[in-house]
Amino acid sequence: MSVSIPKTNTALMALLKADFAVLRANRRSAILALLVPVVILISWKPLIPKLGGAYALSAAITFGLMAIGLMGYSITVARDRDKGIFQRLRVAPVPTWAIMVSRLAIQLFMIMLLTILIFIIGKSYDGVTLTLAGYVITFFVAFLGGAVYLSLGQLIVGLIKNPETVNATTRIVYFIFIMVGMFGELGTLGEQVKKYIHYSPYGAVKMMLATSMIPQTWSSATSVAVLISIGYVLLFAGVGIKLFKWNTK
Amino acid sequence: MEISQSLLNVENLSVSYGNFEAVKNISFSVLPGEIFGLLGPNGAGKTSTLSAIEGLVRFSSGTIIVDGYDVIKNPLHARAAMGVQLQSTTFQPELNVVQILQLFSGIYGVPLDKNGLNRILKEIQLEDAVHRRFAQLSGGQQQRLSLVISTIHHPRLVMLDEPTTGLDPQSRRQLWERIEAIRKSGHAVLLTTHSMEEAEAICDRIAIVDHGKIITIDEPQALIEKHRNDPEVIAVSRRGKITLEDVFIALTGREVRA
Repeated sequence: MSVSIPKTNTALMALLKADFAVLRANRRSAILALLVPVVILISWKPLIPKLGGAYALSAAITFGLMAIGLMGYSITVARDRDKGIFQRLRVAPVPTWAIMVSRLAIQLFMIMLLTILIFIIGKSYDGVTLTLAGYVITFFVAFLGGAVYLSLGQLIVGLIKNPETVNATTRIVYFIFIMVGMFGELGTLGEQVKKYIHYSPYGAVKMMLATSMIPQTWSSATSVAVLISIGYVLLFAGVGIKLFKWNTK
Repeated sequence: MEISQSLLNVENLSVSYGNFEAVKNISFSVLPGEIFGLLGPNGAGKTSTLSAIEGLVRFSSGTIIVDGYDVIKNPLHARAAMGVQLQSTTFQPELNVVQILQLFSGIYGVPLDKNGLNRILKEIQLEDAVHRRFAQLSGGQQQRLSLVISTIHHPRLVMLDEPTTGLDPQSRRQLWERIEAIRKSGHAVLLTTHSMEEAEAICDRIAIVDHGKIITIDEPQALIEKHRNDPEVIAVSRRGKITLEDVFIALTGREVRA
């Protein structure tokens, strides 16, 4: 008797539908992840004439990308792995990449939502308007920025099995990135730290985004930031995928 | 045993975790229309054997053929040919009964319209729990849902890892009937269990596994008859009646395993 394998796109659609249902059920935490950058953007309104619209918008998007990649992705992956949900999916005739592609698609959707939301708040509340090219390039660069933090999340779940430890670690990393990144970039922590911040996942992503909003300011430093970001993605995702275990036993 | 007839053929299987060899060169076959039980104390290698068949762990040597498909060479075909219920089955806690059924029907490529969905819900007596999440179901309801998901694509081989653990007698009996119905349809069942009563009640053949090796394979009653007069069996028997549990303890030892 011959056995037929289900079509991968059928399986992928079923996975996507389920993952979107999970996102819908967890809408409160999704809203909270989007709320942090929105609150920052709103509270920074008086500072925008001094900092610049591109700075404020790029910082807000970067904070949102961190929350999505570090906490949204890695915490749910760690939880589902611990509960054996991945093992149940893996015994089905579906390629394992399809399981992860579905998970990542949800995060990409969140990145899209975040970017559009920041554009809307930036325009309507802060009066920051970009050119059409600025909106389009920033929109796509946000995905590369998101990839940096998703791969960092992958590295964390690759290195750490315990879901509680993953939860705590991602929150600490998120906090450090925000605090050190923000204050370091402004020079509060000294010139040496300010220099390093530019090459950190926070600095590189923020620089890419800020320049994308005003495409005519694109420089060799921005190209370096893009290359550094791609390097981070390859390094974090490479190690994270290699070390990743499908179960916690 | 005719290998060409079998739905599952495990040959010289070994599974290692680092330096620890959990399964040592075991071989067995499961025939169509057969319920085959893997019995053994904790840590004997039952779940490792099942995990190797399911493709969840890499085995160090041996071959596994499911319905004619080598699990290494044709993993997706092999997985499509089997239905699996893991020891601790769980689903995304945010999904309700209907969403779980829709997810797995999609993954297994089984079209599921409203009528089909209602038929399944009626079959597993969950018509009133459609919007309940998996964690909100009782143990029996969870097991019924898990079993129907593992057979949603009508696999020729169904693998159940300790399916009745934690169930009340009514739910357990009901699950046995469902397992026997799978056998009646000509499909095969491979199950692991700690319950000797269960093995005696529903298994056509059993393999007793200990320290990663198969000690013996036979029909439950034949095993009892074969070992009825062994001094070790008589020594562990209670109330003068020899049971499968007596044979099991005599063969695997009295010490409690981790």
